[in-house]
Amino acid sequence: MHNLGFALDGAWRVLLAGLLLGAGLPVLFALGIRSLAWADAGGVARPAGRTLGYGLFAVVILGVLLGITFIVATGFGKALSFEHIYPTIVPKH
Amino acid sequence: MTESTVILALVVITALGFDFTNGFHDTANAMATSIATNALRPKVAVALSGLLNLVGAFLSVEVALTVTNAVVKIQNSDGTPKESLTAHGGEALLIIVLAGLVGGIIWNLLTWLLGLPSSSSHALFGGLIGASIAGLGWAGVNWNGNGSKLDGVVGKVILPAIMSPVIAGVIAAVGTWLIYKVVTGVAQRFTDNGFRWGQIGSASLVSLAHGTNDAQKTMGVITLALIATGDWTDTKNIPFWVKVSCALAIALGTYLGGWRIIRTLGKGLVEIAPPQGMAAESASAAVILASSHLGFALSTTHVATGSILGSGVGKPGAQVRWRVAGRMISAWLITLPAAAIVGAVMWFIGDLVGGLGGAIVIFALLVAAAVYMYLRSRREPVGHHNVNDEWEDAPAQERVPASAGSAS
Repeated sequence: MHNLGFALDGAWRVLLAGLLLGAGLPVLFALGIRSLAWADAGGVARPAGRTLGYGLFAVVILGVLLGITFIVATGFGKALSFEHIYPTIVPKH
Repeated sequence: MTESTVILALVVITALGFDFTNGFHDTANAMATSIATNALRPKVAVALSGLLNLVGAFLSVEVALTVTNAVVKIQNSDGTPKESLTAHGGEALLIIVLAGLVGGIIWNLLTWLLGLPSSSSHALFGGLIGASIAGLGWAGVNWNGNGSKLDGVVGKVILPAIMSPVIAGVIAAVGTWLIYKVVTGVAQRFTDNGFRWGQIGSASLVSLAHGTNDAQKTMGVITLALIATGDWTDTKNIPFWVKVSCALAIALGTYLGGWRIIRTLGKGLVEIAPPQGMAAESASAAVILASSHLGFALSTTHVATGSILGSGVGKPGAQVRWRVAGRMISAWLITLPAAAIVGAVMWFIGDLVGGLGGAIVIFALLVAAAVYMYLRSRREPVGHHNVNDEWEDAPAQERVPASAGSAS
């Protein structure tokens, strides 16, 4: 049952990446919404909340852009490498 | 025009037909949640999804010629067809592919009629497996790979099908639960608009990924048929007209929208609220992209369904209709064998009649089945106008006494 081994190996990686991007980014997005709401709450303007909120949205948008880059790169026979921590586009091996 | 050219034309038309059903069967994966939560109007949602599928299909420049190698042995590893199948203008290979495609389409249409989101890739693979068993025997199927990587029916189809909905479900449940924790007490005017955009963004990502993944499969199958008849020789590229027609077929299918399936996924499983919709689509997008990055083949349908179920589990106090989920899961289990049986039967019929006549008979059977199921669907039409109606559990099962002569 070598296939089961390969599949389990792939599965936990997908779970990890999925939790980070698929659950992590939406939570950041929700935190952004909360910051914006806090910035406007109670009649007192809180510019810090606004800045924090938009900062969090920016992180989420970067995550989405990474996703789109990945789709496009794969389509053109390239791959995204995280070898240098920040993503780079490399030829698929 | 030789006999094999006519068969080739039938294969190409059938393959595009499959691509079309693939599109409308899978609109729900990306857009069911956005439609159910009114983040997008139904017509706008399917138009957006269709457009992104079109763009996605054109992005898949890389050749997917070896797509059938995961499950059957009709191709060499470089993508050329097996020599034993290319005699007489590749007729043997064309009939296997044609029978397999017909199996896939008939199963896709039947599950659509029943409003069940089953996997289009399983239907295609099932059809091809059945036709290959019929045409080449058990050894014609790549059951378990060669042990060097995740491969074969077990590795590429069965294991991912079991694991991917669970993974997606866990991620969506965790995401939903955390999001509800974060936004408790936040005024609705902030959450409604925010999550609306979150949903549209994540659903768009799923549509784009779907276009790149699924249109490729049909492009690969058509090119394989062209190589078998000697109409194309390049194994590194796909003819441009193949790419354009596949992209258009899947986009049109998506735009048409499989409303029955959208209804089941969006309203039947869970009553979806905007935060759940965003969590579900983000989980789907992340799982689809991460798996294709790691070469872990999976079905968009299984992932999307798992995510939506997960978003129901993760929301405190939400109701999940496990009966609907159970029906869906049984449809998943029988998709591959059912499409395989249809594929095998089609191959035997084609073989019995033989040659061009066989191909025409199979094609005629497909058209007849498609027309019948379409007419059947008109009895209780589901469209953009009623896709969001309240879901009624356990619809009345008793039948009106059939009037004489009416088939049911």
